Amino acid sequence: MMEYILKNGIVYDPANEVNGEKMDVMFKDGIIVDDVSADAEVLDVTDKIVMPAGIDPHAHVAGPKLVVGRLYRPEDSRRGVTQKTKVLRSESGFSIPSCPATGYRYSRLGYGTVVEAAMPPLEAKHTHEEIATIPMIDIPAMPLFGNNWFVMEYAKDNNIEDIAAFVSAWLKISKGYGIKIVNPCGSEAWGWGMNVHGVNDKAPYFDVTSKEVVIALAKANEMLNLPHSIHIHPNDLGHPGNYTTTLETMDAVKDVKKGSKAAEIRDQVMHVCHLQFHAYTGNSWKDAGSAAPELADYINKNKHVTCDVGQVTLDETTTMTADAPMEYDLFKLSGLKWTNKDIECETAAGIIPCIYSGKNPVNTLQWAIGLELFLGIENPWQVCLTTDHPNAGPYTRYPRIISWLMSNQRRMEMMENGEVHKWAQRRTTLPTLDREYDFYEIATISRAAPARIYGFTDRGALTPGYRADIAVYDINPNEIDPSRQAAEIEKGFNVAEYTIKDGQILVKDKEIVKVKESQNIWVNVKGWEQNEQKVINNIMPFFTQYYSVKWENYPVHDHYVSNPIRIDVDGK
Amino acid sequence: MFNLKTITFDQIKTSSIALEFDELIPDEIYSWTEADFAKYQVPIGNSRFPITDFFDITVVGEANGPDDVEMILNGDLNRVKYIGCKMSGGKILCNSSVDLHVGAEMSGGSILVKGDAAAHAGREMSGGYLEIEGNTKEFTGASYIGEWRGMTGGEIVVGGNAGKQCGECLTGGKIHVKGNCDILAGIHMTKGIIEIDGDVNRWPGGQMKNGNIIIHGFLGRLLEGFVLDGIVVDPEVDGITFEGKYIKYTGDIGLNGKGNLYLGAEANKEKLAEYGELDDEYTSIREYRNL
Repeated sequence: MMEYILKNGIVYDPANEVNGEKMDVMFKDGIIVDDVSADAEVLDVTDKIVMPAGIDPHAHVAGPKLVVGRLYRPEDSRRGVTQKTKVLRSESGFSIPSCPATGYRYSRLGYGTVVEAAMPPLEAKHTHEEIATIPMIDIPAMPLFGNNWFVMEYAKDNNIEDIAAFVSAWLKISKGYGIKIVNPCGSEAWGWGMNVHGVNDKAPYFDVTSKEVVIALAKANEMLNLPHSIHIHPNDLGHPGNYTTTLETMDAVKDVKKGSKAAEIRDQVMHVCHLQFHAYTGNSWKDAGSAAPELADYINKNKHVTCDVGQVTLDETTTMTADAPMEYDLFKLSGLKWTNKDIECETAAGIIPCIYSGKNPVNTLQWAIGLELFLGIENPWQVCLTTDHPNAGPYTRYPRIISWLMSNQRRMEMMENGEVHKWAQRRTTLPTLDREYDFYEIATISRAAPARIYGFTDRGALTPGYRADIAVYDINPNEIDPSRQAAEIEKGFNVAEYTIKDGQILVKDKEIVKVKESQNIWVNVKGWEQNEQKVINNIMPFFTQYYSVKWENYPVHDHYVSNPIRIDVDGK
Repeated sequence: MFNLKTITFDQIKTSSIALEFDELIPDEIYSWTEADFAKYQVPIGNSRFPITDFFDITVVGEANGPDDVEMILNGDLNRVKYIGCKMSGGKILCNSSVDLHVGAEMSGGSILVKGDAAAHAGREMSGGYLEIEGNTKEFTGASYIGEWRGMTGGEIVVGGNAGKQCGECLTGGKIHVKGNCDILAGIHMTKGIIEIDGDVNRWPGGQMKNGNIIIHGFLGRLLEGFVLDGIVVDPEVDGITFEGKYIKYTGDIGLNGKGNLYLGAEANKEKLAEYGELDDEYTSIREYRNL
């Protein structure tokens, strides 16, 4: 029986509408409770911020892209090298940390759950092997469906039932959490050296549009009552003028009705990831501008969409995505090294290094657009804190982003003292936005909102019965003025005073004191077993003909996923 | 520079696994006494051992900063790597051949190696002076593996021959090889000067975007991406005049490169049918298309 009291902390728990109250948080045997015995160990956190542990709703931390990135960017791996200690293995890497470093650094930030945002089913085994080597955090992984040949065929026929059965089966096969869509039809087009531009372009040889694929998958998602909505990286990422595509994508699912059981937790039927990359006006980078006001306005008026931002951090980083044609475009812009991979019948990925500089007008525009979205979207439950790690910057910069969100003075300083290019003032509305986040809103965008968006019923809040995933920060909200003390805010959020995961104290006094095995979270849909078998039987001849692996070697067997957290969902 | 403090390392034992000297640079040890060295443990592989197991260390004089320090390393340094790595001032004298990464990432000061150097000598240096009296192996003045930004400043002088990919990704500074040079000198370079007194095996300047390569000796094989620019006499490159007659090429046109490659005309006579014309074997892409 391990009982603890976090004593006298200042608690921010948006899910329970606790906003800066001085109170105790208690947990016992890994679970939040509302009472403990007199034997409970007291952890004095007087006047320190207590929040649920962070949840990163969109990051790339495990899978083949990461490994290729590490292989071809050894110059990144030599940054952030530390020696092993009695507790920790050595760390390496900055934008693509080694697996142990990934877990350690998230834990130091006070995070407990991180969603791996793109997992090709064919590479799912590898992804889970890598998840197993990342300590400290729980990691759901999102299988890719938007360019899957079977999905596109079903979508062309508007065969929602078979798509639902296929998705249900593939979540079991890949041990995945939900439906991820990346540049629907575009990554398939890349196999022919092409891309799609806009939601009404057809994938070559499939006679189906991006819009049809997205709507079909959204309907299937709700038919299955999945805890998370479809999670989409829309077409035209990174292209000037792409905001119209983004608006059309969001609007395409406006009339899709939420699954009856999923509706109890989440509000949205679509989660748009790294919205910043999809918020550009113009016809080229010469005349590009910000469409953040238009997109924020749409989200403010529509409850069916949530987003995460993908905030540019102005660092040298590595971009990696299953949007292979976009990566090629980026390569042509930067001239830096590029790697590309086709995942047969499923998707295609690319990776290139990227240097985001405040001196660069385009990078500054991207930086400002991200902040505009944060500040323009009124409801913090509809927007999440991400950098699309590592695409717009490493997750270790979250504290810096928090400091920007909490301090208009700091943002103005950056624009006025030349830390960023003048395009921030000339081409965006950022200078006119004086909104400043408070700690409650920070807790919302980094904890409560991601938990609700993903349909988590065991984390993201300090509710009795929930997992004891808690972060304590050495910041006294009664004494600090975030608006004027941006540097202190960044420093305070950089390393948690305590990080508690499932009731185990992993970080204490800003040092990692314990290493915990990670757990994969996956969704098991019940009630569709017969439909799943029918679909598998139907596609087997095609699978045997076109896949380079045998069916028997395709699914992720249990021994690849040690100690998983299975979410059983009633799909009927 | 007048040195106020001399730190002499006299070898008493060698190691089969290389000692790593990146912590023993003037910047770090200018204030150290012999007692400090007696406490210091040097990294060897994944462990550390007392430096005094391998060297007798004598400290003479006082220093107010790294510029006041001269380190003298005596003995067999073939298994001592990272000598002078990241130093910003002072002098290091190595009285034998050295292992990998000598002078890597140095930004100031000077290093003299009275022998050969293993690979990555002067890797990514941004300033200072590195002289190797003997030969160097691969990647002299180059970038770290995978990195696209190599040496950005300072000067490297190689008294003997240089190995493969000398000056890879050079983005500034000067490399002077007094002997011969192996393949792909200046590959990916974008700035700076590589001067080679001897012969070059083949393919200098591959994918170069800018910068200058001057080869006084014979060139075995030129890449196809270089276009004959003409014959030049006493060309001036970045303020330095190179006397004599040179065949000048520009390239690498595969990357729209604007780099210059100067070949000593005397040593490359067979490439000249007559002034301004090349043998078929060395015909550039552009000339070939114009035929």
